Amino acid sequence: MGELQFLTWVRGTGLNLAISIFLLGVLVRIIEIYSLGRKKDLAEPRSVAGASGMNTVFRRSIPADGMLKTSPITYIGGYVFHIGLGVVVFLFAPHIKFFQDLLGFSWPGLPSQAVDFAAVLTIVALLLILIDRISKPVKRYLSTFQDWFTWTLTFLPVLTGWMAVQHLLLPYTTMLALHILTVELLLVFLPFTKLFHAFTVFGSRWYNGTVNGHKGVAV
Amino acid sequence: MRLENFVEGTDTTRDGLTGNATAVLHEVAELLVALAERGETGIIDLGGMPLSSADKAWLAAKLGQGEVQMTLNLDGASEVRETAFHGVWWLVHHNEKGVLTGEFIEISSVPELVSAHPDDIRQAADKLGFLINDL
Amino acid sequence: MAGLAQHGVSRRSFLKFCTTLASAMALPPAAGLAMAEAMAAARRPSVIWLPFQECTGCTESITRSHSPTIESLIFNVISLDYQETLMAAAGHQAEEALQHAIKENFGKYILIVDGSVPLGQGGAYSTIGGRSNLETLKEVAKGAAAIVAMGSCAAYGGIPKANPNPTGAVSVSDVIKDKPIVNVPGCPPIPVVMTGVLAHYLTFGTLPELDKLGRPKAFYGETIHDRCYRRAFYDQGKFAKTFDDEGARNGWCLFELGCKGPVTYNACATTKWNGGTSWPVESGHGCLGCSEPDFWDAGSFYKALSMPADPLKTVAGAAAVGAAVGVAVSFANRAKKSAAKAAHETTTLPDLEK
Repeated sequence: MGELQFLTWVRGTGLNLAISIFLLGVLVRIIEIYSLGRKKDLAEPRSVAGASGMNTVFRRSIPADGMLKTSPITYIGGYVFHIGLGVVVFLFAPHIKFFQDLLGFSWPGLPSQAVDFAAVLTIVALLLILIDRISKPVKRYLSTFQDWFTWTLTFLPVLTGWMAVQHLLLPYTTMLALHILTVELLLVFLPFTKLFHAFTVFGSRWYNGTVNGHKGVAV
Repeated sequence: MRLENFVEGTDTTRDGLTGNATAVLHEVAELLVALAERGETGIIDLGGMPLSSADKAWLAAKLGQGEVQMTLNLDGASEVRETAFHGVWWLVHHNEKGVLTGEFIEISSVPELVSAHPDDIRQAADKLGFLINDL
Repeated sequence: MAGLAQHGVSRRSFLKFCTTLASAMALPPAAGLAMAEAMAAARRPSVIWLPFQECTGCTESITRSHSPTIESLIFNVISLDYQETLMAAAGHQAEEALQHAIKENFGKYILIVDGSVPLGQGGAYSTIGGRSNLETLKEVAKGAAAIVAMGSCAAYGGIPKANPNPTGAVSVSDVIKDKPIVNVPGCPPIPVVMTGVLAHYLTFGTLPELDKLGRPKAFYGETIHDRCYRRAFYDQGKFAKTFDDEGARNGWCLFELGCKGPVTYNACATTKWNGGTSWPVESGHGCLGCSEPDFWDAGSFYKALSMPADPLKTVAGAAAVGAAVGVAVSFANRAKKSAAKAAHETTTLPDLEK
């Protein structure tokens, strides 16, 4: 299969399949999880300052006492790569064009050099996080196949996208096609792995905060 | 949007020189010595290496202007001028639309393009003969 | 050079043309002189041009080039023994000319092909003089020294091969496997690329350096994007959103209007068209990618490379299925919960004492 034909497939059939599976999976799991609801807590609700769903959502964005010193790479690396990923995915003009086609509206983007800088930061942060996971014995012990797999799924799209723009390793057409393919793989596996936290993290925090806030405990 | 508004991405110093013009000048000097000592002609394609407009201006300034300036009408204008150094000629080619198609420095007693070819001279001699016969 | 003079082309014009051509192909300047001498030499190879399933655009491109005298003269100087559109003979006379040329120059002639070769219905979709193109190609290729596949149809299959390919069109290299083939793709190709390839062969007796798709690297070595004069706007994120909007009139990048420049290898951005007059992007329209295989099937010309090539057909259905499954699962979960509640057994003191 020629370069352009590969690209056309990933832009056409591949994309169709990936987004379909992604939407299917996301909807199944969101409805499945959120429809479980909560068991009614018949006790008298206590009201303590700082103990509520919303409070927990924001509080857990900050490292707990002493944790930043113990595990700086986890927090700093984590924030850098999440923010960098957000910038690269949502503020790069060709990507905005893609969303415009899907959603019907668009938004202003950043100059390509700014996105390039963000991409490099993201790649470095992801690599540091991986090295940290490998070198810290406890982290390594706790890591399962899914941890390494989801790291790879997240890393490859950023790496291949950046390499395509920089014209590295393979001809541009092939590199671009590989980038789109890795994005499709990420989409396909996201709803069925821990990557689904993208849709559940805030809901989960809010749930914990509300349940415990009812009991008067700030978590 | 005019094409000239966009500059090729060559590394330049503040005055726009890349350093390549100096290299070309060295090559011209070598070829000129070869012409002087052994009668060998040479030709340099200025389109074949990255030269900024500052480079070309610098080169033209260094080589200067000679006594000869020629315009050739060859499917578009071509200019041939001798530089201040005998034997060093600067050729600029355009097509009929006036677009630059080639620029060369030729080191020879007279550029190949200018001198008349023996076959053409033979044909011309015959032709002139016929013209005179018909007078 | 008598042939040249006959066509109103002076030796000097020809020499000028050859030196600028050599420069365009990144050959040393002396090559220009060698080219002029080789092409003007008395003994010149025969060229046979076979038109197959094509639109004649490639022939038009060559003969309507900026210097029609130069380009068409090349074919006269090099003894173009068979070219249906340009030759005077027709019918059986023309076929005789073809057979004669093949016999006279067996093993030494250059075969130029434009148009794809249809394989459907035993090749009956395109015939000349009652013989299928497939048959003709195989026969004429036998005595060819080299084959030039002119245009995207001959090089890759082109527009006839586009989905659903009703005639079973294939490229020249799909049929002929034992001869050196140069692909000169483009819809149509830039004229000087054609003459550059011929000039190279006539001067050096070899084909120019080719990339892995068989294209001369001198002209197809870089993408349009990498030589585009609007590249600075791409890098700054300045894109035209619609044709003739503010951005378009300021000459901004046409990526969002579907330009396929980043994935297309051709010389349009540097060599340009119509004697250096302009080229699609400079005229305000994105690159179609016409020198790449199957560009007709690569999604809309007006959809950016980062947009889906085709409409996403199953996405809505998948979302509906996902929602339905989710709801079904939630009902099943609730049923499970109530069943568990109902089946909940109370423990009494006697049970514990048991």
